[in-house]
Amino acid sequence: MKNFIKNNALSLFFLAAFLLSLVGQSFAGNADANQQRLAEGGAPLSWVSYVTSSDFTADVAENWQSEYLQFLLFILATVWLVQRGSTESKKPGEEGGESDAEQKTGRYAESDSPAWAAAAGWRRSLYGNSLGLVMGAVFVLSWLGQSVSGQASYNTQQLAQLEDPVSWGEYVVSADFWNRTLQNWQSEFLAVLSMVVLSVYLRQRGSTQSKPVGAAHDTTGVEG
Amino acid sequence: MSLVAILTGCSSAERETAEQAATRFYGAVHDRQGEQACSLLAPSAAEGLSTGGQRCANAILDLELPGGQPVDTAVWGDEAQVRLSRDTVFLHRFPQGWLVRGAGCTAQGELPYRCEVTT
Repeated sequence: MKNFIKNNALSLFFLAAFLLSLVGQSFAGNADANQQRLAEGGAPLSWVSYVTSSDFTADVAENWQSEYLQFLLFILATVWLVQRGSTESKKPGEEGGESDAEQKTGRYAESDSPAWAAAAGWRRSLYGNSLGLVMGAVFVLSWLGQSVSGQASYNTQQLAQLEDPVSWGEYVVSADFWNRTLQNWQSEFLAVLSMVVLSVYLRQRGSTQSKPVGAAHDTTGVEG
Repeated sequence: MSLVAILTGCSSAERETAEQAATRFYGAVHDRQGEQACSLLAPSAAEGLSTGGQRCANAILDLELPGGQPVDTAVWGDEAQVRLSRDTVFLHRFPQGWLVRGAGCTAQGELPYRCEVTT
């Protein structure tokens, strides 16, 4: 048990942080929504009703889609684009999908390589892109979830304000949908930009996300 | 049940109960049952009609709300809109059921409906 925790501490730490934040969001969101409902002459919602409501689902989904988009773009962009000196980049000249020998696929697969890395045809291709595909799928599903729950949340607000509800097609081209979407995207892209550029010049001793403290600024693709 | 219906609770049963609440309200107004009509209003809407020494039961009848047959009903979350042949009504779901929070409402283009009865 002790070994399991030690070997998986990073995952467990972020799982706990995720769950605590989600629970915290649900209580804070419920209190905020109830303040608004009372001000509009409505009745307050219980916590259970709130966490199954479109308001909560939309708030969660819009953040999820932007996080998964961030990682999807980061995963794909770092195949083809480099940043000299960054820990997040390959070395200049290594752009592209790389050879089978470099990727240990096909006949270059090693005894402990995943089975589909050695396989031929679509299985090797699918496994070779599985990280991007799963991140992309979660992004698309989260964004779809945001649009559906966002429409419900928006229409609830529209009716509370004595305005007409809108269709899903009208909602996905609405200012509300794109405001919610872009305000999340811009912060994610800024965070990636910061990480790519700051890792050239700044260090965090012992972190995999930093070069060794004494590494030169133009050393690329080295992690401490 | 569709994903939208799951997320919004907007089933045909929901629309039916909201529509029935609107029909009961306009039935009371039509039958000149002011007290009953006011009991079907959201508390803040009823209070809004009880200003200047006038009782809600009298004020609601003085408005001569047009009503009509239900044409279309939309339910999203705890809010509903029932379009009648000569009127539009907005309702909110309280623990005791659907209550009217806007009646005698007229569309104002991009702006909120203007309602004779409102919260």
